[in-house]
Amino acid sequence: MMTLWRMAYRNLGRNRRRSALTLIAVGLGMGLLVVLAGLVEGEIDLALRNGIRLRTGHLQVREESYEEEQFSLAWEDLLEDPAGLASRAATLDEVRIATPVLWANGVLGTVDQSMGVRVVGIDPGSEAHAPFRDGLVAGQFLSPDDRSGILIGRRLAESLDLEAGGDICLLVGTANQEPDEAVFTIRGLYDTGVPAYDETTVLLPLDKAQAFTRAEDRASAVWILLHDREDAEAVAATMSEPRFDVVTWRELNAALLSGVEQSTGIMVLMYVVMLAVVAVIVANTLLMSIFERTQEMGILAALGMKGRQILSMFLLEAGTLGAMGVLLGLVLGGLGVLYLATIGLHIGDMTTAAAYSEMAIPSTIYAEFAVQETIMLSVACLVITVLASLYPAWLGARMEPAEALSAL
Amino acid sequence: MSVIEMENVTKVYKIGAIETRALRGLSLTIEQGEFTAIVGPSGSGKTTVLQMIGCLDRPTDGSVEVNGQDVVRLSDSQRADLRKGTIGFIFQFFALIPVLTAYENVELPLLLTGITARDRRERVNELLDAVGLSDRAHHRPDQLSGGEKQRVAVARALAVDPVLVLADEPTANLDTENGNQVMDIMRRLNEEMGTTFVFATHDPRVIPFARRTVELRDGRVSDVWDVPPEMADDPEGLVDRAFDLDGVHVGHRDAL
Repeated sequence: MMTLWRMAYRNLGRNRRRSALTLIAVGLGMGLLVVLAGLVEGEIDLALRNGIRLRTGHLQVREESYEEEQFSLAWEDLLEDPAGLASRAATLDEVRIATPVLWANGVLGTVDQSMGVRVVGIDPGSEAHAPFRDGLVAGQFLSPDDRSGILIGRRLAESLDLEAGGDICLLVGTANQEPDEAVFTIRGLYDTGVPAYDETTVLLPLDKAQAFTRAEDRASAVWILLHDREDAEAVAATMSEPRFDVVTWRELNAALLSGVEQSTGIMVLMYVVMLAVVAVIVANTLLMSIFERTQEMGILAALGMKGRQILSMFLLEAGTLGAMGVLLGLVLGGLGVLYLATIGLHIGDMTTAAAYSEMAIPSTIYAEFAVQETIMLSVACLVITVLASLYPAWLGARMEPAEALSAL
Repeated sequence: MSVIEMENVTKVYKIGAIETRALRGLSLTIEQGEFTAIVGPSGSGKTTVLQMIGCLDRPTDGSVEVNGQDVVRLSDSQRADLRKGTIGFIFQFFALIPVLTAYENVELPLLLTGITARDRRERVNELLDAVGLSDRAHHRPDQLSGGEKQRVAVARALAVDPVLVLADEPTANLDTENGNQVMDIMRRLNEEMGTTFVFATHDPRVIPFARRTVELRDGRVSDVWDVPPEMADDPEGLVDRAFDLDGVHVGHRDAL
């Protein structure tokens, strides 16, 4: 076997330019796949992490009748004692943070323009809202007893031509089904890096939001962050009570996760197309090589080498080429992923489209080395390379020795 | 004991609708230890006879026995096994594997037989020494002269200590000096090892090296004659009288 391998390896060096070009083709194909897999992995992971930290948390405890889409403020749809419930949740080991939140629909208006927004009442002291505090780009963060302050996204401020310190009129629906409006002072502007969120969300201190919407002490949900998101189902089971609906991050990010499933199908298709191109290139190289070495196969057969040994030699040749190509691809792909993980890929404002609003996709996405996919792709590339060489190798192995020897 | 027995062998090549009869009921017996030349003009069937004996091709009709085995009935795999252990080949175009060194080329048939590395090493060195190429062992074919390449091919053909060595035009691509050197080596190894050598040639210069000559014409044996020992010291004139320079046989033993 060592001799077969040695011959296979040396045969690759006979036409160096051709072998090098094939190697580059396999390497580039493989590298591109590694980068694509890394980008998708990074995008999905980032979108999910953003979704969890900005919008959904790991768990939400809500009244069973609460309608998420309508941001219902009817008392029967709101939690009666959210603070008590949050305190209880916080005693669980798996829970990192539990805090009440209140959601309402609103319209933000200036003299010239108005825009529909999601109003979120938050406990400004809770660590759950660190992304907004950390993402503050102007002004200051809210304080719990602030009765007239509001925090808005920088993008929203830009589109309404507002700035920190300015006043804005907010109209909300209330628990008694009547609208109410008040003027708020913009305490600060935040930038979470997720355009869809920053353009549609304004924050109020929870007490003010409750008073403004007539929800009194009630809240839409207790918003929970866990130490490990995989504990979500277990904690949900612990928190479960007949009148509560305990919803996990998987259900809350169902749109994103189903998008991931769909994109996985598309990615697999891309992988298959790219690997098919690689396979054709390798098969072509090997076919040319076999036609050039027909007589040599006759010599090997004359020496007593059996068809399967000749077949093995060509498969080893393709395998060596494939393995070197995969290695090159891993290096190129690894460098690509490293670059995109550090610098990122700016995808612009396409994510602000309404269709994307449920997916917290940032304007710059960062790649992440997709270990599982890379292993899978490496193996697939190697296997496909060898499979692609089966036909040429078989063609070489089945030749009658006399016929092969006379091919001059 | 007969090493080769061919009985009424026919070989027809079909290329499209055209049939070419390369052998037409050829019968031939070669005994162990012979050093036999198969001669005749181009197209007389010399190479085809070697291919039948060497299990590289199958006859259309007739029987071929090599070392007592009916090779016509053997499977491809059994024929490969027979070639591996019983038959050595030397070709006109040297037929070395270009990516292997002289040493590795000679070692290749031994690797297929699975003998130990130590025995292999000893055998390869012994053979390279026998053909005078010990100092060229680690050169690749493109670093060897034509004569050296053919000597490597001779060493390789003898690597597994075969019963029979078949050589197809072994001197055709060599100048007189190198051709004679290769024939000398083959003849010496035939005498020392008792290996049967059958070589096809239309080069009259190598006839004096043979002990017996089988002459083919139109796919049949047209004459068989023993080469007189004195021819080995020849007089080039004797050779010229036996064959004209176009390789067409115009004489035989009686003419010498």
